[in-house]
Amino acid sequence: MKLILLDITNDTRCNFYPLALGRPIWELRCGFNSLGDKLIAKIGAKDVACFVPDYMADSYRTKTKYPVNDLTVLQVNDLLILNPCIKAESFDVAVSGPSEVGLDEQGNVMYARIAKDDTGKLSTDNIEAFIADVKAKLPNVKSALPRWQYIWDLILNNAEQISTDFSAAGQHGIEGTVEQPNAIRGSKKDIYIAPGVMVHPMVVIDAEHGPVYIDNDAEIHPFTRIEGPCYVGKQAIMLGAKCREGNSIGPLCRIGGEVEESIIHGHSNKYHDGFLGHAYVGEWVNLGAFTTNSDLKNDYSNVSVMMDGRHAIDTGSVKVGSLIGDHVKTSIGTLFNTGSYVGPMALIMGTGKPLPKYIPAFAWFIEGIVTKGFGKRKLYETAKMAMSRRKSQWTQTEQDMWDAVFEMTAPIRKQAVKKGRRAMLTR
Amino acid sequence: MATVEERVKEVTAQVLKLDSDQIKLDDSFTADLGAESVQSIELVAMFEEEFGIEMDEDAALSVETVGKAVDFITQVCAEQGVDVEE
Repeated sequence: MKLILLDITNDTRCNFYPLALGRPIWELRCGFNSLGDKLIAKIGAKDVACFVPDYMADSYRTKTKYPVNDLTVLQVNDLLILNPCIKAESFDVAVSGPSEVGLDEQGNVMYARIAKDDTGKLSTDNIEAFIADVKAKLPNVKSALPRWQYIWDLILNNAEQISTDFSAAGQHGIEGTVEQPNAIRGSKKDIYIAPGVMVHPMVVIDAEHGPVYIDNDAEIHPFTRIEGPCYVGKQAIMLGAKCREGNSIGPLCRIGGEVEESIIHGHSNKYHDGFLGHAYVGEWVNLGAFTTNSDLKNDYSNVSVMMDGRHAIDTGSVKVGSLIGDHVKTSIGTLFNTGSYVGPMALIMGTGKPLPKYIPAFAWFIEGIVTKGFGKRKLYETAKMAMSRRKSQWTQTEQDMWDAVFEMTAPIRKQAVKKGRRAMLTR
Repeated sequence: MATVEERVKEVTAQVLKLDSDQIKLDDSFTADLGAESVQSIELVAMFEEEFGIEMDEDAALSVETVGKAVDFITQVCAEQGVDVEE
């Protein structure tokens, strides 16, 4: 059986922006690892392939070991096609058997189990035609599999997911170095300090309310307090951080200040003081000193988020912080409002006031308005510089993908620039 | 209608808080008129609004003097079919 992860352009992809602008949905992290890792582990699949929106295919090929957008994989095997929004632990469909297509109430394919004998009936001209044929020619059933609806679902479930992943990992104890004096609270069965980890003196690891997993070669500097549930990724550095419950810190991040119930992808920096709560942060982000987000409104009402810059979506939660796209850079003193959306590549100069709740991709937010700033090329130069400092390379395929994102996001950015111009003219 | 040069000087004066009569064609926006990087962005934005054109950011921001801005804007106006008084 070949497992196919399917993330093609549809109406719900944007529910996972700004992160899903630069990666397939299954690469979003929650708990210890990505949604894709969890699905693959749940199925126990050895043979995996994937389909992603065309504009990101070349870039994604450089980041995955699996075949990407290769139609030949659809022709020769029993297949199990999965929607990446399915919650892995809830997937209870038999992975082998006669063909069956599980559709949600909107008719979206949640899963498709396709017996090898049926693959010949299905168009392989392109993935969209294949999926249309799957729905039309194979037996359909209603599927009520639990799914992630929006990116903030991952934030809100992160603490629980960390606990689940800790149990699944089955590791505990101290294999790294813990310099004394230190304070470890809670049961040592709820703590794992992996080989290569260096915990400096004067660190508190508090597993009383949930497990703490510190992955290989991470470094925990003095005066850091880590409360479980928490996952600290490989080679991450915690710099005196007040790391409260429910955080997943990605690999190679550098984290200081106060962070609570947040998910941070790899290579991002929040080196200095400032509060980040209930936030989802992409890769290669740099949050300047005293960058702070609100994650709770003064009136304790539900937080709404504008995913498209126009329509507010009620998250159903009183706590949601910021959604911060890849390569975003913020200046000192940046203040994000509750439920802010910051598109990838945006560059923010704080004003001392809370910023607008929607900042488009590639925006230069300067003196309180969205501008075209110094343009896209300058943002690329900055990204290239930031990556080279960590021995990573900005590639042409990466740039091509971001060029496509730039075009996709141009209409809303132009509107925001126009609005900014009006404000500029009235000053 | 005012000429491109007059309009460029007027916008520059407004953004940089200067007297337009004191602005010369060979003035550098940064060295002579004191434009900081943020003001350069504002200048480009205001030129676009004044002339109803869209300029490539890299090209526009590489223009160093008022005179070169006049030439550059005149050229962009011609390319984009915007009538101006030269």
